[in-house]
Amino acid sequence: MSSAPPVPPPSERPASFNKERDEFIQTFFHKGARFTQELLQENEQLSQRLSDLEAENAAMRLQIKSDQAIRELLTKIAQLEEEKAKLLSAVREVEAKSSAVETTYSEVEMELANLAGLYVASRQLHSTMNVSSTVKQIKEILEQLVGAKAYAVYFLSDDAASLVCIASQGLDEQASRLDQHLGPEGKVFRTGEAYISEDGDLASRPLSDPAACIPLRIADRVVGVITIVATLEQKPKFLPVDYEYFKLLSGHAASAIVAARLFANANHQVPGIESFLEHGV
Amino acid sequence: MAEYACLIIEDSPMMRQLLVFALARVRNLRVTEADDGVDGLRKLANARFDLIVTDINMPIMDGLKLIRRVRTDPVHKDTPIIVITTEGAQEDRHRALQLGANAYITKPIQAPQVIAKVKELLGVS
Repeated sequence: MSSAPPVPPPSERPASFNKERDEFIQTFFHKGARFTQELLQENEQLSQRLSDLEAENAAMRLQIKSDQAIRELLTKIAQLEEEKAKLLSAVREVEAKSSAVETTYSEVEMELANLAGLYVASRQLHSTMNVSSTVKQIKEILEQLVGAKAYAVYFLSDDAASLVCIASQGLDEQASRLDQHLGPEGKVFRTGEAYISEDGDLASRPLSDPAACIPLRIADRVVGVITIVATLEQKPKFLPVDYEYFKLLSGHAASAIVAARLFANANHQVPGIESFLEHGV
Repeated sequence: MAEYACLIIEDSPMMRQLLVFALARVRNLRVTEADDGVDGLRKLANARFDLIVTDINMPIMDGLKLIRRVRTDPVHKDTPIIVITTEGAQEDRHRALQLGANAYITKPIQAPQVIAKVKELLGVS
């Protein structure tokens, strides 16, 4: 068995050997240090890279999550839009129904008001058995309910030859007596057909072209005429309810006046039961 | 629910009756009638009203004088007043409103219009 040559102690080694050894060691350490430095740098770079990749990964995950959330949100929006469209359609339906109900309600309210007006007019017309009070009630209907500004009420004269004015308002030049064959009043008296103007401004009419002319009847007999020459400024046309007032006046005014007159003639005596029986009651 | 008191001052019995019928459609509204301005002032002196509806052309005391008097009455100086009249001219309207009327409605009346104005002034639905 061979053994390595003995290493002489440092003090016995040649100086060149020591120098060479030191240089070698120094070089070795330098290289080691540089290598270590490079490794550390590389490690640092790798760490940095890893960190960058992790950040990138996190961002991408976030992006994916965000895209998913957006997709979900878009789906939700679509659903909500659909729901909104349904709700809007339901609201429109309800609004249409509500509007129809409102219209019906307004119409019913108006109808009730008209009926109340007719009831009041009818009640007031027959509330008295006094001729002047009855005529006053007719004037009230014309002024307060119809809105007549200028008008006259004519009754057939005793000799049945002319129409005599028994009440008027706002007519300075109105004739107190009319020929029953002439003018619009004469025509209405003869035919028994009411004349109601539906065009033009009712508030300013000439005497020869009144706004309305209504026959006054007792049963089938025409005994007078109401002529409305002009209406109030705020009443430019007749309303449906005015036609009902005209019918009321046409059918009831004359009988109310005549009844009041006969009652006055009878000294305000109510006829006895016998008189009713005589008439087949 | 609060009850409101309304005074109608109108010389025409027919129009008064019509207004009473119309205002019967307003819930919790108690209506008192007066047939001219003086009668109206008498009733205003004896009770408190939340609303006054008055005509203009009336015997004894007209509606404009009445408005003037009401606006100096400590009890009713702020009470809403609705004028209902045949006078449709703008100057009549201005005059009534200037004197302190709160609303001006011309005859012949449309009941729904009167009801709406009464509700508006009383603040009821």
